[in-house]
Amino acid sequence: MSETELLLWVRGPALQIATVIFLLGVVVRLAEILMLGRKKDFAEARGSAVAGGLRTILSRTIPDRGTLQRSTFNVVAGYIFHIGFFVVLFLFAPHILLFQDVTGVSWPSLPTPVVDATAVVTMIALLAVLAHRLLDPVMRFLSRFQDYLVWLVTILPVATGYLAFHRVGVAPPTTLITVHILSVELLMVIFPFTKLMHTFTLFMARYYNGAISGYRGVNS
Amino acid sequence: MTRINNDSEFRIALDALDPARQRQVAARFVENVLALCSDERIARVLRVAGNSESSEDALAEALKTARATTFDCHTRCGSEGDWAEQAGYFVARAATAALTPIGQMPSGPAWQAALSSRMAQTSQSIVTGDDTAGQESNQQYRILSEFLES
Amino acid sequence: MSASLERGLNAFKGQIDAPVAAFFSSCVRCGLCAEACLFYTETDDPTLTPIHKLEPLRRVWRQEYTFWGKLAKAVGLSKPVTDEELTEWEPLVYDSCTMCGRCSMVCPVGNEIAYMIRKMREGMAAAGHAPTDLIGATQRAVTIGSPMGVKLPALQAQIRHAEAELGFSIPVDVEGADYMLLLSSMEIMNFPEFISAIARIFKHANVSWTISSEAFEATNSGIQIGVSEIAAELVERIVTAAGKLKVKSVISPECGHAYMAIRWEGPNLIGRPYDFKVVHILELLDELREQGRLQTTGKETQRLTYHDPCQISRRGGVVQQPRNLIDMVAGDFVEMPETGTMNWCCGAGGGVSANERADELRLQVFKRKKKQLDAIHPDALVSACSNCRIYLEDGLEENGMDMPVLSLTETIAEHLAGSEQPGSKD
Repeated sequence: MSETELLLWVRGPALQIATVIFLLGVVVRLAEILMLGRKKDFAEARGSAVAGGLRTILSRTIPDRGTLQRSTFNVVAGYIFHIGFFVVLFLFAPHILLFQDVTGVSWPSLPTPVVDATAVVTMIALLAVLAHRLLDPVMRFLSRFQDYLVWLVTILPVATGYLAFHRVGVAPPTTLITVHILSVELLMVIFPFTKLMHTFTLFMARYYNGAISGYRGVNS
Repeated sequence: MTRINNDSEFRIALDALDPARQRQVAARFVENVLALCSDERIARVLRVAGNSESSEDALAEALKTARATTFDCHTRCGSEGDWAEQAGYFVARAATAALTPIGQMPSGPAWQAALSSRMAQTSQSIVTGDDTAGQESNQQYRILSEFLES
Repeated sequence: MSASLERGLNAFKGQIDAPVAAFFSSCVRCGLCAEACLFYTETDDPTLTPIHKLEPLRRVWRQEYTFWGKLAKAVGLSKPVTDEELTEWEPLVYDSCTMCGRCSMVCPVGNEIAYMIRKMREGMAAAGHAPTDLIGATQRAVTIGSPMGVKLPALQAQIRHAEAELGFSIPVDVEGADYMLLLSSMEIMNFPEFISAIARIFKHANVSWTISSEAFEATNSGIQIGVSEIAAELVERIVTAAGKLKVKSVISPECGHAYMAIRWEGPNLIGRPYDFKVVHILELLDELREQGRLQTTGKETQRLTYHDPCQISRRGGVVQQPRNLIDMVAGDFVEMPETGTMNWCCGAGGGVSANERADELRLQVFKRKKKQLDAIHPDALVSACSNCRIYLEDGLEENGMDMPVLSLTETIAEHLAGSEQPGSKD
């Protein structure tokens, strides 16, 4: 297969397959959770579960003061790479064109130099969190193979995208872009089977948390 | 001798005493029920409490010992309670109260010592089945009256 | 697989609901829960990270309720949960966790870890992996009616003693009273003055109340150990008594887990709503205060701070009421750094204090409370849970801290205005 053929396949059928696996996988995972259901609460409510749930979805985004003080690195580095990843994925003009192709929806982009700088910051943050995961006793203890795998499939799209954009001379541009797209497809395919699902399930988890507390009149 | 007939008079008389005298009479309340406590540390701390010459340091040390004894004598959450042993716990609590500085206890340390001593008696009565309600209070009225005379 | 292990695994399965699945799906192994848990912060032991305490439950979830997990199990590629593992996990679930819920407040993805610990205990107990001390307490609760073996004659003696001190009678088995008071065995045995304090307050405020001779125990050992059938039976006794006496409300006394048990878990354990309301004593006292029925006199001059019992405050929702009450009697009050729903656990609740094996750890983690106190230098500590109270006393004594621990209800009673006090100070 020539380079062009490979790129066409990667951009075409492979992307379609990856998207199907991604969407199907996410839907199945979400269904697996929702199907388990939740028992009705017969205790007399003090507050609103729904209001509590919705509130916690938003409020849990902000760490409490104690956590911020005790785990500053974790919180700050975590936010940097999450926000950075979001910016690079959704606010980069070529990506937005791709989304427009598929969904018909488009939105404003950030200037490319800004996205470029963000990509660098994101990669540095990701390297830093890996170091932290390896060095911090609690994180090292908690981490499994999956945590390192997920780290890898998260940094690869950012790194390969950066290389492709800058046409870094390690390989011809076609190869660079092929590798980049492949890395994205890898992320998509792995996504539903790992903790990356937190992207969607955290809304549910935060909701349930806030609902349980809200029912009792506590803001969690 | 001023006769004390009820808790109202009892408490008023107690509150009128200065801290050192409150401590000494409280020690006597506890001594009256000391037999219900098998921990010998309490006898020791009561001697310190009852002594008008006891230094601040000695009192503080005695208070620490009384608190430690109280905890050692308590019935652990969820364990099988024994009311005879619980009597010892209340004696220890009474001793702790006797040695607690005024102001640290909302109810007044000497009054608390009296209450805990009565509770020690009640505890014992649960074991024996005797109805001893009021007995310890009457004895305490007498002890206080005698103390006020001395 | 042994029969007991199978029972345990089935219990784990049965406990997994949508929230649990959402929580395990979302955990990104960030470790922030560790820094919120006093058992980790005071020991630096990573195995005491809250989410790690749930590992066997997580694997059961994965193997039973996820596609890949089920597939892996079917082809023999998954790691089964074993008896050895549950033995290893027993101290993590029972000795180093009070279900205080602080972890649940900080998890960035929203995991309610304490909720899951409660559920995990169901499986642990079913598998025969609960601490022996808790098993004994639960047995006594079922057969005698009290985990500490307190029988009715003992309570009656305490009541008679209180009546002698008060000069008026305490209502027992009064049909049609508004409120039915429960008492924890800890209170009856270790802090019986609570009974007279409540009686004085209720007389002062003209509250119509009673104690039931058939169901006076507030402590629910079934919840501590994690056996819902027993927990339900203990609740049913209270429900029956409340129905018999036709009371409007049941009062939960100064005991944290008792409140959680009767107020929030109770109706769900018995599968139906109550015919009566449940109030914590602090809620009732605050209502009386609001209605102007609680008149106090004088203020404590010593510097006071308040320890929030976790099950009442963070897990129970009674946060402001104790503060309103303390305000009535405190001349000098200071909040702990990190207070209210983010206050730190005393380290003794949820069955930990009943478990002798956990004594050393409990005293070690008290240092977290010590740090809070060292920051504000109070003269005395006020709380509203007899378990917190006595184990805080233990911790204070162990650390050479000269500070009394006061019951909020008793303190209020001491400051009541009017003639309810023998020789009351004005």
